[in-house]
Amino acid sequence: MATASAVVNVPANPRRGEIIEIKALVRHAMETGFRRTQLGAVIPRDIIRQFVCLYNGVEIFRAELHPSIAANPLLTFTTVATESGTIEFRWTGDKGFSVVESARITVV
Amino acid sequence: MINTPKVSRRSFIVGSAAVGGGLALGLRLPPFGPAVVRAADGSPEINVWVVIRPDDTVVIRMARSEMGQGTITGLAQLVAEELECNWSKIVYEYPTPGESVKRKRAWGDFSTGGSRGIRTSHDYVRKGGAAARLMLVQAAANQWNVPVSECSTVNGVITHGPSKRKLSYGKVAEAAARLEAPKDVPLKDPKNWKVIGKAVPRLDTRDKVTGKQVYGFDLKLPGMLNAAIKESPVFGGKVKSYDAARVASMKGVRKVVQVGDTAVAVVADTWWQAKTALDQLPVVWDEGPSAKVQQSNINDMLKAGLDADQAFVGNQEGDAKKALAGAAKKVEAVYAYPWQNHVCMEPMNATARYTADKCEVWVPTQDGEASFAAVLAASGLPADKCEVYKINLGGGFGRRGAFQDYVTQAINIAKQMPGTPVKLLWSREEDMVQGRYHPIMQCKLVGGFDAANNLTGLHMRLSGQSILKEVRPAIVEQQKGRDPLTFQGVADSGEHSFGYNYPNLLIDHAMRQSHVPPGFWRGVNINQNAVFIECFMDELAEAAGKDPVEFRRQFMAKHPRNLAVLNAVADRIGWTRPAPAGVHRGVAQMKAFNSFVAAACELSVKDGNKVKIHRIVAATDPGYAVNPAQIERQVSGSFVYGLSALFMQECTVKGGRIVEENFNTYNSMRIAQMPKVESIIMPTGGAIWGGIGEPTICVAAPAVLNALFQATGKRIRSVPLKNHGFQLV
Amino acid sequence: MASRRHFLIAAGGLAGGMRLVSASGNAHATPDEMREAVRKVIGSSRVQSGRVKLDLPPLIDNGNSVSLSVAVESPMTPADHVKAIHVFTEKNPLPNVVSVYLGPRAGRANIATRVRIADTQTVTAIAEMSDGSFWSGSMSVVVTLSACLEDGLI
Repeated sequence: MATASAVVNVPANPRRGEIIEIKALVRHAMETGFRRTQLGAVIPRDIIRQFVCLYNGVEIFRAELHPSIAANPLLTFTTVATESGTIEFRWTGDKGFSVVESARITVV
Repeated sequence: MINTPKVSRRSFIVGSAAVGGGLALGLRLPPFGPAVVRAADGSPEINVWVVIRPDDTVVIRMARSEMGQGTITGLAQLVAEELECNWSKIVYEYPTPGESVKRKRAWGDFSTGGSRGIRTSHDYVRKGGAAARLMLVQAAANQWNVPVSECSTVNGVITHGPSKRKLSYGKVAEAAARLEAPKDVPLKDPKNWKVIGKAVPRLDTRDKVTGKQVYGFDLKLPGMLNAAIKESPVFGGKVKSYDAARVASMKGVRKVVQVGDTAVAVVADTWWQAKTALDQLPVVWDEGPSAKVQQSNINDMLKAGLDADQAFVGNQEGDAKKALAGAAKKVEAVYAYPWQNHVCMEPMNATARYTADKCEVWVPTQDGEASFAAVLAASGLPADKCEVYKINLGGGFGRRGAFQDYVTQAINIAKQMPGTPVKLLWSREEDMVQGRYHPIMQCKLVGGFDAANNLTGLHMRLSGQSILKEVRPAIVEQQKGRDPLTFQGVADSGEHSFGYNYPNLLIDHAMRQSHVPPGFWRGVNINQNAVFIECFMDELAEAAGKDPVEFRRQFMAKHPRNLAVLNAVADRIGWTRPAPAGVHRGVAQMKAFNSFVAAACELSVKDGNKVKIHRIVAATDPGYAVNPAQIERQVSGSFVYGLSALFMQECTVKGGRIVEENFNTYNSMRIAQMPKVESIIMPTGGAIWGGIGEPTICVAAPAVLNALFQATGKRIRSVPLKNHGFQLV
Repeated sequence: MASRRHFLIAAGGLAGGMRLVSASGNAHATPDEMREAVRKVIGSSRVQSGRVKLDLPPLIDNGNSVSLSVAVESPMTPADHVKAIHVFTEKNPLPNVVSVYLGPRAGRANIATRVRIADTQTVTAIAEMSDGSFWSGSMSVVVTLSACLEDGLI
C-alpha cells in the first residue's frame, strides 16, 4: 500500500505465530543541517525524528532517527503475526512533518 | 554499412597471463598450522608483496593500477631494490580487491590517482621487499647452519661468504615462507640504491607492443554478450519511455533494458549490433530543468562571481584589499578556463556477470577497491560473493578512479540477464558527453604597485565550479562550505602550497556550481591555477618594467625548490641570451603533488596565428626519482595532454547537454605537432616524496601563453587557443 | 586582521589529523564524542563485546546511502529479549545514527536501514537487553574516495 510519500510492505496472509518481515519507506530528504549552499549559508536541519509501528493499536517497533539516516528512510524489522487487523505506520519530524500509512494483515 | 568485424587478433579468451596475472591468484589459505599462503600455482608467499617460484621467478604483488604512467614498474623497482632479486626474473600480479578485503586490506590502498602511486606506498612496499629478503637469507642461513651476518644477497642468490656456498631464492622460498616476519626491517640508504634511480625497461611494454595485453575493450568471455548504452544527454534527466519493440527483432538483439532511472541499453551478440539497434531505439527523455541551460548562462554566472561579496578564502597574508585600495597603480585581468573531457583512448567499459551467488566484474580501473565498492552497492551481495578483476587501462587520467558509473551500469544490465557475462562498452560519443569534466573556472586578478613600482598586494578571485562539493561533500561540509582543493597550486600549505610570498595576498573562491558533473582531470585544479597566476605574473612583470624571471625571483626567497626548478629551465633555455630571430620565450613554475616543476618554451608565430613550438625545457624535482626514463616520458606525455588541451580542447553546453561528441570537435595533437621536450630531473631528496603523473602538466600552458604574448603583443586570457584563431603547427 | 593561517595554527596545526571546528562548534565527530554518546545510553554499565552482528559493506564508494543491518542473538521472549539497539559512528558529524526499540513481539532482533557514512571509520551497534546488560558489535568500513585526497584535508 502506498501514498505519494510512503510505501510499506507487510506479508498479506501470514500463518499465526510466524515471524514476518516488515519494510517501511518514506520519501524525505533528511536534510542534515550540515550542508551549505555554494554561498556558504547553512541549510537548516529538517529530518524525520521518529517512527512508530502499531499492530492493532499496540506499539511493536519504534525508532529515533538522526541526520546520519540516509534520505528516503527505509526501516526493516520483524514482528510475530499474532492476529488479523491493521498495522499502522507513523512518521513525525521537523517542521511538523507527519505521515501515517496503514496495511491490513490477515492471519491464517 | 560496415560488416560485423571478425574477432580480431587482439581479442582473447580471458587467460591469466593476458589479463595481468590477477586471475591466477587463487589463494589457498590454510585452515591451521604454519601460515604459508600459496598462489594458485602452489608457489609460496614470502609475504603479501612477494611470491617466489621454484624457478626463481619473483612475483611482485601490486595494489595500484597501470594506466600507462609506469607506476607498476616503479613499484617493482622499489620492491626489487630491497629484495635484491634478479630484475629479469620479475613478473607482477594484481591481488583482487575481494582477496584484499578477506585479508583485512593487506595490500593497503588500491587507488591510483593524485600522483600517489609511488609516493604514498614507497615505504611499505620497500619494507615488504626488505622483509622478504631477510626471511630468505634467514632460511638459507638455517639450512647451512651459519650466522645470517655471514650471508649476502645479489641478484636473487644468497652466498655464504666463508664457504662460498650459494642458494637461489627459489630453493629457500618454501622454508622462508614458514618463518615469522621480522619486526625490525631497516631500509637501504638511498646512496646505495642500485635499481631505484635506474632507467630499467618497463614491465608492461612488451605485452603492449606485441598485442598480447588485453584491455577491457578487447575482453572476450565464453558466452559473453555485448551492450551499448545511452544515458540522458541532459545531465539530471530521466528516461520517460522507450519503444523496445521497434528494435527487438533487429539482427543479434537479445534484450532492450532500462538502466536505473537515467539510461537505456541494448544487449546483442556483437557490440556493433547493439549500437546499431540503440541508435534506432526511440527514447523519450524527461530532460528536466537543466535542458534550458546554455553556455552563455554559465559564463555569465561565473563572471558575476568575480565581483561577488562572498567568497571562500584559500590563502591570505596581510590585507590585500587595503593594499590595493591604496595602490598607486593597479593591474587587473580576467582569465577563463573551460570544461574539458579526459578523452581516454579506451572508452569507458566494464564486463559483469551476475547470479544470486556471485557477482564478478572485469574492468579497467584506477581503484580496484572503488570498483569493488560499486559492485557491493549495485549487486546487493555480500563481499564474499563479489569480485573485481583489474585490467590495465587504456588511459585513466582521473576518469576511472573516483567514478565507477560504468561498473554500476554493467551490473545493472547483468542483473537483468543473470548468468550471462555482459560487456558494456561506451561509444566515443557517449564517453564524450557523459564525462566527469575538468571544472569550469574564471579568475579575476588584481595587482597593486606603489609609486616605486613595487608590488604591494595581490587579489586572486576564482569564480567557478567546485569538484568536491559534488564528489566528496563531506569534506566541504567539514570546511564550512569551502572546497580546499580549488586552491591547488596556490594553497597556504600542504602538497600544493603557493610558491610566492607577497606583502599582502588574498586568494578566494566564489563557488558557482552547475548541472555538468565535475571530476578529477589530470592535474585537477593546478591546470587553471597555473594559467591564472603564471600568466598574470608576466602581466605584473611587464607593468613593473621587469624581466619575467627576475620579477618572480623577488617573491621566491622562501621557496628555494621552486626557485631551483625555475632557474634550471631559465638557464637551459638560455633566458639571459638573445633568442634567434622570431623566436620568443615564456616560463612558468608551480608546486603540486609535493613536486616542484617549471617549464620554459621557445616558439615562433607565422602569419599571425600559426604557432610552432620549437622547444620545451621542463624541470622536475620530485624529491626522489625512481625511474628517470619513465619520468622523462611522463613529463613529455603530460605536455601532449596539456598542450592538446591548451590549443584544442573545450566542452561547451547547449540545451543542457555537452556539444563536443568526437575528435572532430575535440581534437588532440599529432606527433608532428609535438615539440621536443628536454627534461631536467633534479631530485633533492628529503623526507617527502613528490608525484610525477600530474604536476608537470600544469606549466606547459602558461609557458606557451607567456611566450605567445612576447610573439604577438596580445595577452591571451582564455583557452583553448583555437578560439583565438591559433593553430599548432 | 589575523590571517587564516594564524587561525589554523591556533586550532592545532596544519598537518594530518587537524580537526576544523566551525564557529558554531559543529566539528565533525571524533571517537571521544562517540564514547560520550554511548555513555549517555549505557550510563555506568559495562558493555560486553558479542551477540551483536553489525553488517555494512566493507568498502564504500558513495557514502550517501549505505545498507546497514544489525542482528542480535536473543530468544526474544518476555523474560529475555532485546529492548533497544543503538547505532553510533565515530566520524560522521554526529555520533548517533539511530535507536530502535523492540520487545518480545519482534520475534527476532533483526533490523536494517540505510545510513550515511562520511569517512573511513568504525561503526558500532549496542544492544540493550531486558536484563539491563549491554552488548556491542562493530564493523570497520573504508570509504574509497577518502584515499583520493591528501592527508590533512579533513
